Amino acid sequence: MKRTRLTISIILVLALILGACQSIKKPAENEAPVTEVTTLVVWDQFYRDVESQVMDTLNAEFEAAHPGVKIERVVKTLDDLKVTLKLALTEANGPDVAQVNQGRSDMGAMVEAGLLLPLDAYLAKYNWGSVFSTSVASRNSFTADGKTFGQGNLYGVSPTAEVVGVYYNKTLFKKNGWQVPQTFEEFETLLAKIKESGETPISFGSLDGWNAIHEFSAIQHLLVSLDYINNLTYGVNNVSFKTDENTKAAAILQQWAKAGYFSEGYPGIGYDDSNALFKAGSGAMTITGSWLAGELVNDTDQEFGFFLMPPFEGKTALAIGGVGIPFAIRATTTKADLAAEYLNWMISPRAAELWANAGMLPAMALPEGADIKTDNLFGDTLRAWDAINKGNAVGHYIDWATPTFYDTLVAELQKLLGSISTPEDFVSAVQKDYETYLSK
Amino acid sequence: MRSNQAYPGENKWKGWLYLLPGFVIYIGFIFYPILETVRTSFFAWNGFSAQRDWVGLENYRTVFSDAQFADAFLHNLIFILFFCILPVLLGLLLASLLTRKALPGMTFFRTVLFLPQVISMVVVGVIWRWIFNPQFGPLNILLNSVGLSSLTRAWLGDFALALPAVGSIGTWVQYGFCMILFLAGMQHISEEYYEASSLDGANAFQQFVHVTIPGLRAEIGVALVTTIIAALRVFDLVYVTTRGGPGNATLVVGFLIYRSAFQQNRIGYASAIATILMLIILGISLLIRRFQTGNEENSA
Repeated sequence: MKRTRLTISIILVLALILGACQSIKKPAENEAPVTEVTTLVVWDQFYRDVESQVMDTLNAEFEAAHPGVKIERVVKTLDDLKVTLKLALTEANGPDVAQVNQGRSDMGAMVEAGLLLPLDAYLAKYNWGSVFSTSVASRNSFTADGKTFGQGNLYGVSPTAEVVGVYYNKTLFKKNGWQVPQTFEEFETLLAKIKESGETPISFGSLDGWNAIHEFSAIQHLLVSLDYINNLTYGVNNVSFKTDENTKAAAILQQWAKAGYFSEGYPGIGYDDSNALFKAGSGAMTITGSWLAGELVNDTDQEFGFFLMPPFEGKTALAIGGVGIPFAIRATTTKADLAAEYLNWMISPRAAELWANAGMLPAMALPEGADIKTDNLFGDTLRAWDAINKGNAVGHYIDWATPTFYDTLVAELQKLLGSISTPEDFVSAVQKDYETYLSK
Repeated sequence: MRSNQAYPGENKWKGWLYLLPGFVIYIGFIFYPILETVRTSFFAWNGFSAQRDWVGLENYRTVFSDAQFADAFLHNLIFILFFCILPVLLGLLLASLLTRKALPGMTFFRTVLFLPQVISMVVVGVIWRWIFNPQFGPLNILLNSVGLSSLTRAWLGDFALALPAVGSIGTWVQYGFCMILFLAGMQHISEEYYEASSLDGANAFQQFVHVTIPGLRAEIGVALVTTIIAALRVFDLVYVTTRGGPGNATLVVGFLIYRSAFQQNRIGYASAIATILMLIILGISLLIRRFQTGNEENSA
């Protein structure tokens, strides 16, 4: 009994001393003595198996390279993170580094509340301008009042990239002698041909709603200019949603639905279910983002490829794309320098290599001589991202435009697809939402 | 026996002491949050910034001019048919069938029929989303196999049928609760009434209307209140199955609150809707209670 008490007292005293050390000495990186432990609390949403392993590896290597630093990792799903993070960032002992969802209702609102640290000093210090383009940086930027999106201070850095395009079932294509289309006209001809053969041209399910936005916007991106899509998304220069291009895109989508190009019963099928059907060989193509690539490689006897939605004859085209959820720093952290060092680590060439190995698109360039297999589906998405990134053709997720845009788009697109409304009704209804937001 | 019989005036505080734990929990977890919700409904607030702007009744004005709120509330009213009226009728029918004659395996039937009530709403939603799936869901497969292919639909994605489809899930969940409630109630109805009425020549249906239903008045009241509340505050089922779609065909008030609060950061507005919903539910419950006690006094 006495012995246990003694041990406990010793532990307590040690803990007190350690604690005192930590609070007296300011955490200065690199020169910190090895005996002292600085803990960096990091919240991320890489909860899926493969992603989580990448994070664990990066964290372990960061600890090894920074003696005396301990990463305390908290993993959440994105939904969970979105709900809990805002309040956690107001706490004095909240996460030092966290992944913050882009857009007005998340990053914008947090900037407005003064919860995030502007990263411009670190942008210069680490020369991040050479790691990502200004187009990428603007996706993680807000003015200091949180009101204007796409300009002002940098608040986050993204490790991964995303591009929305067309997955196709190579096995089916080979069997039927179909070719990957080079123009949008060829694409539509192909849709008709596939329909005739009795296969489903596009595997799709609109029950969950959000992926209908990609379906529409992928066509929209072939018709509009980069300036337009930037202005629309960032809410600047007073552009309208009610344009000929948007009406045309809506009309094409509605016509596809009427022609029966989508899965049978698509309004009653969820996103994951439609992908499961596609993976099992039902449907020749599906329009969605590069994040699905990893899913389509294992546990299937079909072979899949990926191409960008082809441009109209003689035109250039944008593609929906962007960078993944960025890492940001809590405004009130006492370990800002260490946190910035961590952010730099997350967008290092080593991180690019690890993400690529895991089948995820890195937002950063791969290091020279990285040993990555690219003659496969992942290679297809990598080349697609590379093409739009280098060609300055990276569009936007248009649901960022206003806090209610997502809900409005989903409801209005379901009406459009179900022929409850016309393409003109659709653009008018969405424009109404947009106007209401701009007038505030 | 002293412990059971306190002398008059002795240790009255002791009684209050026993109430204390429940009272503290009630104040902390129910009463205070309700007050805080009502208070928040007078502010414009995004849920986490230090700044809250007093806007008075502005949020309430917005609610009543919001076409989506009107739509959503109408859907809730339609849900009363599916969550309340159908389950109560079905519960009455099943309960009287199960008590009329002692059949072998009765406990089994009772348990099976009650089962939907025990499953979590989220699980129920996932199960039915699968049942309704147009490509591999059992419902369409069944219709196809019996030659009714013309009736197959994308149930949850159909503008006309999504609301009844989600509503019928509510019926499936609620009838078991009504049935058990009525089964218990029927134990209290004296056999003498049935004997007397059958001597007077009443048939089974007449007995059901004139003996069983009046005898179950209290239980029917409880069933009405709880199922109407379930119909008005439904959220989880809609969230899992349709998220308010297609269009806004299955949008309900509960989902509107969630959307405003957690997707659009309009906590004040969401609180105003929640407060209105609470008042409506409170009003309806009081009405039913009053109707019920009024009846009891009349018959007494």
